This record gives sequence, C-alpha cells and structure tokens, in this order.
Amino acid sequence: MKREAVSLSLQSITKHFGSVKAVDGINLDIEQNEFFALLGPSGSGKTTLLRIIAGLERPSNGRVVVRGQDVSDLPPYRRHIGMVFQNFLLFPHKTVSENIVFPLRMQRIARPEREKRLTWAMALLRLDGLGRRYPNELSGGQQQRVALARGLISRPALLLLDEPLANLDRELRAEMEVEIRRYQKELNIPFVYVTHNQEEALTMSDRIAVMRNGQVEQVGPRVEVYTRPATAFVASFVGQSNRMEGVAAAINGSNMTMEWRGSSLLVPSHGDISPGNRIRFSIKYEDVEVSCRGTASATAGRNRLPGKLRDIIFKGQTANYLITLDNGAEIVASGAPREMNLRPGEEVFVHWAAKTGVSFKA
Amino acid sequence: MISDGTIAGKRSRWRFFITPFGLLTGPGVLFIVVMLLLPLLAVVVFSFWRTESYELYADWNFDNYRVLFSESAYRTFLLRSVAGAAAASVICLLYAWPVAYFIARHGGRFRLLLVLLLAAPFFTGVILRIAALQGILGPGGLINMTLGVMGLPPVRALMYTQFAATIGHVYLFVPFMVTAIYLSLVNFDFALLETAKINGAGPWRAFVEVTWPLNWIGTAIGIALVFIPCLASAVTPRFLGGPNSPSFGMSLAQQFGETGTWALGSAMSVVLFFLSFLVISIMYCTIDLRRTGFTGMHSK
Repeated sequence: MKREAVSLSLQSITKHFGSVKAVDGINLDIEQNEFFALLGPSGSGKTTLLRIIAGLERPSNGRVVVRGQDVSDLPPYRRHIGMVFQNFLLFPHKTVSENIVFPLRMQRIARPEREKRLTWAMALLRLDGLGRRYPNELSGGQQQRVALARGLISRPALLLLDEPLANLDRELRAEMEVEIRRYQKELNIPFVYVTHNQEEALTMSDRIAVMRNGQVEQVGPRVEVYTRPATAFVASFVGQSNRMEGVAAAINGSNMTMEWRGSSLLVPSHGDISPGNRIRFSIKYEDVEVSCRGTASATAGRNRLPGKLRDIIFKGQTANYLITLDNGAEIVASGAPREMNLRPGEEVFVHWAAKTGVSFKA
Repeated sequence: MISDGTIAGKRSRWRFFITPFGLLTGPGVLFIVVMLLLPLLAVVVFSFWRTESYELYADWNFDNYRVLFSESAYRTFLLRSVAGAAAASVICLLYAWPVAYFIARHGGRFRLLLVLLLAAPFFTGVILRIAALQGILGPGGLINMTLGVMGLPPVRALMYTQFAATIGHVYLFVPFMVTAIYLSLVNFDFALLETAKINGAGPWRAFVEVTWPLNWIGTAIGIALVFIPCLASAVTPRFLGGPNSPSFGMSLAQQFGETGTWALGSAMSVVLFFLSFLVISIMYCTIDLRRTGFTGMHSK
C-alpha cells in the first residue's frame, strides 16, 4: 500500500482497563476513499478502538496517525475528525441548523461560508425545510441524518461511525445503509464504521476487520471475508453457516475426507491439518442444496446426505430449509423458494460441491 | 335537554371535592389559602391603613407608600439589600458550580451521601449558626483575636460590615444553590460534551455552548433560592452587618417590633413582594423552554 494513499494508520494500539485488555496490539491502515467496517460482537473492543481514534480515550500504547500526522497526543478537538454516535447525541437546545454548523463555528469559519456549507449539507442529507426545528421534533431517521450532516459539514479527515443505525427500524436502516455508502463515495472521505451487524458491514463497506477479544481476526475485502474466512470465529460470525465437527482422515492436497457422524465428507483442507486432527467444518446456508429423493442428481465431486425436510422458513427472496439428517444432525440450506416445490415431511437429499466450505483445526 | 345538562353540571361541580383528585389537592390548596394568601392579603390591606401608638386604624390612605418612596433612608436600605443579595448570589454561583459539578461527575458511589451532607449546616439552628459566624468574624472573634495575639492589626472588613453579612448569607444559602445545580447536572448527558469536543470545541467552549445552557434552569432556580431570601434577610445583617448599615429586612422587622408601625411595615412587605416577583419574572423570561433541552416542555 502506498504511503500517501493511507489516510489513517493505527500502530500497535493497546488499551488496558485495569487488568482487562480491551484492545490488544492493533495495526491497521485505512485508505483514502475507503469504507472500512470494524465488525465484532459486543465487548470485542471495536468501540474502544473507535474512541481511541477520536481521541476520547488514550491508548495505553501505540500511535494514531491521520494523513501522515501523529495525532496520538492531540485532544479530540484538534484532530479534525467527525463522529456519529448510535444515540445521535444532537444538542437538544440547538436547532437543526445550529447543530449542523456547530463544527464550523468552533473552527471560526466566517458566516457566509458557513451558510454555503449548511445549504450544501442540508441538500446532501435531504434535510431541507427542517433547519429551524429542534431535535426532539424530528423522527429517528431525521435525527440520524442531522448527526451525519454535523459529522460531514467540516469535511473532516475521517468520519467515525459508532453503530449509527442500531436505533433505527429495519426499513429505515436498509435505506440508510445505501445512503451512507453513497455519501462516502461522493465525498471521498474515509469512513470507519463500527457495527456488530454483519449484514450492515457487508452491505456498506469496502473492507472489513473482524474483531474479537481486542484483536483483529481477519482484515480484507468484504467478499473475501465472507467467502474465505480466516478463522473459525470469522466463519461463524460472518454469514450464516452450518457447523460440523469431525475428524480428518485421508488428506489429498487441498482436499481431505472428514469423518462425521458415520459419513465421509470430502472437504477442503490446508497445510496445518494432519490426519487424526479434530476438524471444525463450516459451510454457508446458501452453498447447501436440497433435492427430492426421487430426482437423480449428479453426485460426482459432491457430498450427499439423506434427511427429512422439517420446516421451511420463508424469507421472501430466499427461504431457509431446515432438514433433519438421518444421522440426527440439523442442517440448513437456503435457496430461492419458487424453484423447489418441497413440502415439510418429505424425504430429501442435501448436497454440496466438495470444494465449498472451510475447515479449521479444532 | 338543556336544563338536564345544567343540573348534572352543578352536581358534578360539588362532587369534585370528593373525587380522589379533589381529596388529594384539597388540603394543600386550603393550607396555601390560609397560611399564605390570607396573611398576604392582610398585609396588602394593612399597607393602606394607619398606625398610631401601636394600634391599627382602618382609614384608607397612601401615606405609607409616600413615606417609603420619598424618604431616602428606605431607598438606601433597599438598594443595600439588593446589592447584598446580588453579591451573595454571584458568590454562591461561583462557589456552587464547581462543587456540584465535581459531585455529579466524580462523586461515584458517594454522590448521594455528599449531596445529603449539604444539609449538614442545618443540623443546628439558624441563630446558633450566625452566632458561630460572629464568633469567627467579629471583633473578639477567632480571626481577629488570632491576628491580635500575633501583634497584627485586625481585619476591619470582617467586623460588622456588609461584607461580613454577605459571607453569612453565602454560608447560609449556598447549600440550596449546590443542590439545585447538582440536580440539574445529574440529569445532564455528559456524552454531549464528548460530542462537542469531537466537533472542535475546547473544554471552555464546550462548557459555554453545552453545559451551561443545558443547566440554566437549575442554575436559575438556585439563584432564585439564594437571591430572594437574602433580599428579605433581617437576622444575618443584624448579627454580622452591625447596627449602622441596616438592611431593608432589618428595618421591616423593626416596624413590626420596636416602633410598632405595622402599616408602614406592611407597605415595605408589599414592596419586597413585588420586587421578588419582578426578579422571578425577569429570570423566567431568560428561559426559552425550547432551548432547555427538556423534551415535552414546549408551550404549544
């Protein structure tokens, strides 16, 4: 990565709270024009990391470098970073316009320029006509857009977003996901987006860092994180997967056979695994297919297991097929509902291509 | 149809007093009427009467007010009281904000205890507390006696001056100011300060832009709770301020005591009442309910 393209550089950031290591030696480089997501369960240290970048929290160790300048020792009000919070945190005693121009007033920018930028921000976030309202007179979505406008109006070096959509209802969230990504691409400001919602991270970001226990488990482009999880944790946290625990038998290059509940499955392997190891295999719902017992399906290079369709969870564009295998395990396959006329109780086969899924040493 | 409605209306008006709401509010309303409004009314009536050798005569006139507004002594007393109350309020404000802020922000598990301890000065009676202050500030008091023993001249500013009276007022009323500001601060979202800082406000700017305006109601209540009692105060100035510079309250007390001029005293009370009401009204006007940060306080 070229140095000048790097907009934010985190260098071995560590944060202790007493004896707890909230953030543990994190190194990350985030590029200009990048939408970067920090994804992890609660308590994984992602919010602490965000607060360290903002300057609200001092790291126990490590440096924060923004556009080549070490800001580690600067207070938040000297860093020129924007931030949007989960609970909006608009100033309740200021109108929408006053909230939005607040950063410009703090920077002592002259009134004509302030007015110009306000008009621009209100148009960008579709807040026209709401300027004189107070925050408690706005809907949740409007409040969040005001918070975004306040974060963006001064064209910060970086915008931090801390679960900004968590308090919005589902429909609005989906709309805002697309909107926020659009702002980022239009403004060419790097966004660092903290979320525990993998769907949000996948929808919006260019790259994702999956965090767990204060450490980064995997960093990479979203498709890579989704399709090629680096650890068992990432495999279970990103996307929806079936998990099977078995024992490695014969290994043959990049494939191996895994003994699982009396069946031999052909699954991908990698260098660390040797015969006899306990294996955690994980395969995404959408990689598993279901078909009726009667239909002849190609079995070459595929794993095939018999079972009984227990239920269908209809989700609109897709449906989840819950299957109880003959060996007693539950497995979920997802697919387009119209393609299959299966009924609950029917005897079925589940099958998947042998090269799909990922295996890890347990 | 119509007559039915009126009869039902009359009945329900009487029945109001035996509804739960009536039963709950009734005693309180009665108490206020008897204990506050009736005496106030009496004072207003008396202020237009005449006193002669300790007797009230009901011949209506404006003489008391004429005396009050024409004799410069009363104006001096009043101005002295207003200045004293203002000084006490400002000092209490400067004193109380950091204390309340510290307790609200850093009090931790001792927060409640610290606030309850603000009642500590009230563990003894008011006269005793003022006497104790006299024992510290007065001519034979702790400070000046110590200075004397060390061969230094006494601090005259502490001996029966308005300054000493103001110290007394601050001591007596500062707990109210701290409590009012504290109660405001515990409901203040300190995360808003972080937001202000991220958006470029230094600590002082963040205070002026966010903390102060969002806690102005509590602060205003604190100012009212200090300013108004100080304005009417009689005992503190008498013990600490000395006899040479009487306050309005002292003079007022005298009318009902030594001189027995009840009618003039009543007129003074009315003046005091209107002045206090004026101060409250001015403070009320400074509060824009939409800008307090309280939701649901809009006067629509």
